[in-house]
Amino acid sequence: MDFQEFTSYFHPNLFITELKAETKDEALEEIVGVLSEHKGLKDKWLILEMLKRRENLGSTGIGHGIAIPHGRSLSIKEMFVAFARSVDGIPYDSIDDEPVHLIFMIVAPPHEHNQNYLPFLGKLVEILKEEGNREQLAKCENFDQLIDILAGGF
Amino acid sequence: MDEKQLRCLVALQDIDIMIQETEGEQKLGFKTEGINKLKATREELTEKIEKPLFRRYELLRQHYKRAVVPVQDNTCLGCFVKLPTSLTTRGKENIEVYTCENCGRILYWLD
Ligand SMILES: [Zn+2]
Repeated sequence: MDFQEFTSYFHPNLFITELKAETKDEALEEIVGVLSEHKGLKDKWLILEMLKRRENLGSTGIGHGIAIPHGRSLSIKEMFVAFARSVDGIPYDSIDDEPVHLIFMIVAPPHEHNQNYLPFLGKLVEILKEEGNREQLAKCENFDQLIDILAGGF
Repeated sequence: MDEKQLRCLVALQDIDIMIQETEGEQKLGFKTEGINKLKATREELTEKIEKPLFRRYELLRQHYKRAVVPVQDNTCLGCFVKLPTSLTTRGKENIEVYTCENCGRILYWLD
């Protein structure tokens, strides 16, 4: 997956600099709320339920303050990614028990023609494994900066 | 094939795709201890499906990500080939199973 394709799933309206949420459920709800406003979705609870089910399978908190809640939903037609940040940190039942500061939420439709869901997830995890990238993301203030930081992974 | 068998088969396919994807996530380093619950549900479903049908499904699954696909506008949504009219004017009787003549996938209609 090239940089252009990778970044096409992000959107300035899906960039949340400061989450109000204090718990994992609140965080998921807040981000899904922003998403459904952006996409004009009527059944946002379906996406929320799906994300919570995925969390029950195993927390998507991958450690180092990062969580990647994700899943597939009939409610949407194309894959998208939302980025959100919490300065205070959110308890998330992560692998390393550390609170989460950066959240990348990925929702994909059940059938995709290009099957980009797992490759995208893989590339994102690869970028987030770099400590330098995580430090920059923690400080990033706007959408353009986010894309700049992600570009470093290509 | 009766409706219940078909519903079980479609549910089984959903779970199989979910298990497959979850295993992909495991390789990326995600925690997925709940996958065992999915596998247990798969076993339960498997028991509800008649053996020959289940075997056919398992065989198809080696070739295709989706072995059971819907029909829309008389077209198999697995290979996008138009189906012969004899197949698309189906009755309500219990016919064992419809498969696409072109790709062999098991078909169902979205009514
Ligand atoms: Zn076909």
